[in-house]
Amino acid sequence: MNNTFIQRVKDEIAQAWTVAVKDVRVYYLRPGMIMFGFLMPFFMFFSFSVRRELGAAEGVARLLALSVFFTAGAAGPFIIPTERRIGTYDRLLAAPMSLLTLLLGKTAVGAFFAIAVSGVALAAGVLFFGTSIAQPDLLIAGILLGAFAFSSLGLVFGSIPTTNPGDVQMPSTLLRWGLLFISGVFIPLSEMAPVARFLAYLSPLTYAQDLMNHAVLGAGLIDARIDLAVLLVSGVLLLWPSIRLHQRARALGR
Amino acid sequence: MENMIDVEKLTKVYGRPGTGTLAVDEVSFQVERGEIFGFLGPNGAGKTTTQRMLTTLLEPTSGRIVVAGHDLRDDAYPVKRQMGLVPEESNVYTELTSWDNLMFTARLYRVPTEEREARARDLLETFGLWEKRDAKTENYSKGMRRRLSIAMAIIHQPSLLYLDEPTPGLDAQSARAIQDLIRELNAQGTTIFLTTHQIEEANQLCDRVAIINHGKIATVDTPERLRQTIQRVQSVEVALEPDGATHGPALEALPGVTTGVKMGDKWRLYTEDPSALLPLIMDYAASQNLRVVSLNTLAPSLEDVFLEITGGQVGTIKHDNPEDKPRGRKPGGRS
Repeated sequence: MNNTFIQRVKDEIAQAWTVAVKDVRVYYLRPGMIMFGFLMPFFMFFSFSVRRELGAAEGVARLLALSVFFTAGAAGPFIIPTERRIGTYDRLLAAPMSLLTLLLGKTAVGAFFAIAVSGVALAAGVLFFGTSIAQPDLLIAGILLGAFAFSSLGLVFGSIPTTNPGDVQMPSTLLRWGLLFISGVFIPLSEMAPVARFLAYLSPLTYAQDLMNHAVLGAGLIDARIDLAVLLVSGVLLLWPSIRLHQRARALGR
Repeated sequence: MENMIDVEKLTKVYGRPGTGTLAVDEVSFQVERGEIFGFLGPNGAGKTTTQRMLTTLLEPTSGRIVVAGHDLRDDAYPVKRQMGLVPEESNVYTELTSWDNLMFTARLYRVPTEEREARARDLLETFGLWEKRDAKTENYSKGMRRRLSIAMAIIHQPSLLYLDEPTPGLDAQSARAIQDLIRELNAQGTTIFLTTHQIEEANQLCDRVAIINHGKIATVDTPERLRQTIQRVQSVEVALEPDGATHGPALEALPGVTTGVKMGDKWRLYTEDPSALLPLIMDYAASQNLRVVSLNTLAPSLEDVFLEITGGQVGTIKHDNPEDKPRGRKPGGRS
């Protein structure tokens, strides 16, 4: 590898980081991010967990999966259409970096947000319910890979060429709710009918929840290595439709 | 020396080719290194579409764009590194301070760490924003945001700067400051591509202008030579008293007058022969017991050229013979 290529890679990593840090500063405290990213997982958790016989550790595993899932996917559908509307997205598209770099920067924004919010959920579980973590390494890997995969999923919706975040936040939320009910979060995989379980295996959230069960409860239904691999591959594959949608937007002039 | 920009048969169709909307139709032109090139056209003529293709934001349907020797289709990266873009709307991050906006852009363009702060300080001082560097830009005036937007576009010292309508909506002082800045950047060697519908601004700033109309380049030349192409569109401006404004219809009816336009308390009368019209105006004033407050003959302005080419109604000559039409005018563009 020549020096030019290595320098280019260094530049692109630094640019992705620059985009991510800027977005963190500009958008994290926006109402759309707080509503869809921070409050939503807690609402969902309390809606479906209160007054049900749920152990503390099981509850923490569920809350961790929910917070990673909802929070990571909230950034893309909010930030990119907002930037398209106010014109700042053109500044990023015209900058000397690849589209993949820009998208990785945007993915990092959602992932950082998810890591922070799941940290709050974890702290609450440990401090208030005395939950212990069976496999901390799996917990860290699960949060990181889950945050990446679900941020990539949110980015797909954010890449739809529109200038109104509402146009993509609603369908994005609907899809995520759909995934929530087929992914073994509220009904354990072991209790699902075969057809439902088949559907569950198509959802990356299933593997995130199973990984959290491994990490917190010390046991899951699927091999943890498969959970990790599925989340990693999902995150990478979900970047592809985002790239295609951006290319389409460039051709359409939106 | 190679051109800074070479555009060949650039075409953009929104939607499917054949059934979609043709926005830019086989446009070709060159921008020389170190010049200020004005890109003029009425609303919807294809200015912004062309500029978005030049800045990689929009994919052309066909045609070729070469910037500084790099074909934009497969070698855009080096072009992006040396290009600055100031869009029509000042796209600054209003949640950040002007200092943070500049630091963000400097990092994005990989300005060396040791130079970032010095350049940001220089720019903020030059643009009169240094005192407000720690204030969030949401509290800035439109002119301040515009200046910051330009500063963000040049912090990486681009050799080519695209400016889209840089001054509309600004007060005269801010507009003048930005025009001075454009001249200064150009004097330092930056090639400027100025998209505007401010004809006078283009006249004052540009070495050459292209006029685009209905998606086609109507003409490319220096402002002075463009004016010479329609020397026949000359005018006489007259102010009469008392009640000068009421005499427009009568003045318009004088022999040789093609169009009359009320300009405040004056009338501008377009004619192919001002010297023949002057005595007629004096005779008319004498016959009506009017005092001639002022009487001036005016050469065609760039605005006249623009209107002539783009089919505007004000101050245009009606040509009976198609051979008489000015260079570059589209057949059927105007009767």
